[in-house]
Amino acid sequence: MSTTTTHPVPGMPDPSTTARSPHAESPLPAVAATPPPIPGERPTRGVSFGRLVHVELRKMLDTRAGRWLVIGVGAAIATALVILFFVDGGQHPFGSYLQATTMPMAIILPVVGILAVTSEWSQRTGLVTFTMEPRRIRVGWAKFAASMLVGIAAFALAIGLAALAHQAAITFQGITPGWSIGGLVVAGAGLYVLLGLAQGVGFGMLFKNTPAAIVTYFALPTAWGILSSLVTWLDTAARWLNLDRTMNPLFLGKALTGEQWAQLATSVGVWVVLPLVVGMWRLSRAEVK
Amino acid sequence: MITVDRLTKRYGGFTAVDDVSFEVGPGQVTGFLGPNGAGKTTAMRIMAGLTPATSGTATVLGRPYASLPNPGRYVGTLLDASAQHAGRTGREVLNLGAVFMGVDRNRVEEMLDLVGLTGKEAGRRVRNYSLGMRQRLGIANALLGDPEVLILDEPANGLDPAGIRWMRDLLRGYAERGGTVLLSSHLLNEIERVADEIIVIGHGRIVAQGTKDELLAGVGTFVRSVDDAALARALEGATVSASVLATGGLLVEAEPVDVGRVAAAAGLALVELRAGDSRGLEEMFLELTSDTAREEVAA
Repeated sequence: MSTTTTHPVPGMPDPSTTARSPHAESPLPAVAATPPPIPGERPTRGVSFGRLVHVELRKMLDTRAGRWLVIGVGAAIATALVILFFVDGGQHPFGSYLQATTMPMAIILPVVGILAVTSEWSQRTGLVTFTMEPRRIRVGWAKFAASMLVGIAAFALAIGLAALAHQAAITFQGITPGWSIGGLVVAGAGLYVLLGLAQGVGFGMLFKNTPAAIVTYFALPTAWGILSSLVTWLDTAARWLNLDRTMNPLFLGKALTGEQWAQLATSVGVWVVLPLVVGMWRLSRAEVK
Repeated sequence: MITVDRLTKRYGGFTAVDDVSFEVGPGQVTGFLGPNGAGKTTAMRIMAGLTPATSGTATVLGRPYASLPNPGRYVGTLLDASAQHAGRTGREVLNLGAVFMGVDRNRVEEMLDLVGLTGKEAGRRVRNYSLGMRQRLGIANALLGDPEVLILDEPANGLDPAGIRWMRDLLRGYAERGGTVLLSSHLLNEIERVADEIIVIGHGRIVAQGTKDELLAGVGTFVRSVDDAALARALEGATVSASVLATGGLLVEAEPVDVGRVAAAAGLALVELRAGDSRGLEEMFLELTSDTAREEVAA
């Protein structure tokens, strides 16, 4: 007869009584110690901007949501590169590889910018953040700066990975090297990533609410694009205001005309600068609850 | 040192904080007592610069909170223990605070020890914390910058009686070193156990403030004799006001010794003679809470 019950081993603690549930709580110390003082004078200067940026950068990456976003970007880039590597025997110029790494990144990274701001409200961490730095505009700019740093690092990585994939295609697939790429195209791709992030930060500040900011960020340009293709006079406006359209000349590798620059500047003003300015104003005045 | 002067906060037609003035001095624990919705949290948020006041001022260490340089090193705040990113670990919350304030990273471990969070617990994400653990993390965060002033909103919420006792000892030790502590609660006995000074707020207004001993001091004398009616007459004859209690005995507005003399002169044997119960604060507080409760039912 087999026994399925286990018996406590004599001399050993019974596992059923010593095992603690994973969420058991450790008791408070029996005696409350007085918190040790920090030696030295108290600071007479405020928190430096560099330290604010450091904190904001860390906050973007130290949560589960932040980590999944990074993993998501990585997975999207890897998928795009693998597809490019095998389609048509990998015979694409470096520019196409760069586009494959930049585009998924440019779509997902703005969410990092949005969350950097909205989590202060949705997770209510603003209660702590804005008591440690009551000059909220500085926190706002620190978030902006941290987002730009993330964007620059991500774009550098995108260039590196694209180069690696192109080189791999040359080495293993025997394709003709196609390294030449216009400086303007690279700058345009970088700008595209950074503007998306800046817009995300601005929308986050404007809405202070994750779903609203994300939905608006993605839906508004699409709706705008559809509308302007249907209504003629809107189409004229779109030439100046549709960020996707005004950015397009950057990727064609030709020098932009004066009008194209003006169109680009106008659309950036409306979609990026305006949300940031209004958002900063809201950030500085909102009641933190 | 916290100074609140004629502070008012209105939301549309609703006055959350109504012309409130008080001072919180160093070296003691001051309790901010009031039913839910009395205006405690709003007043504390104004003190910490999170909510703009409609009128009046609040200063901490002699200046508006927002003008303190690196305020975390001067004022420790815990305004809501649940206001932490659910996806961040407890230790990371403190690490961020340490970077923010520019304090040594060892301080994080010291604070975790202080509030009794183990290394394993500190590595867990806040979403998996009980309210009590969040409070402990919040207290650790408030103490991280070795502040001179502590502003704590309902810090004993979610702590068991042993936890409340621990908090009292911690805050007392902190105050004895010269720290200023303001903590709020909607529970009278919690405040009684922790605070030296008490400020009572109801409907946005201050209804009482003073030392705990003053506020909890008994009123008059309780006396019971073999014949309460006769004693009441005798006291009346001595022009001392007394009321007969439905539960037996008399409540007399006089010192016990004087009541004893009247009884002796009247030849009445006493069954019980003592200072009256400390009913003032409790009754006032019950009145406040029942008001609020009625409003909640009406709403």
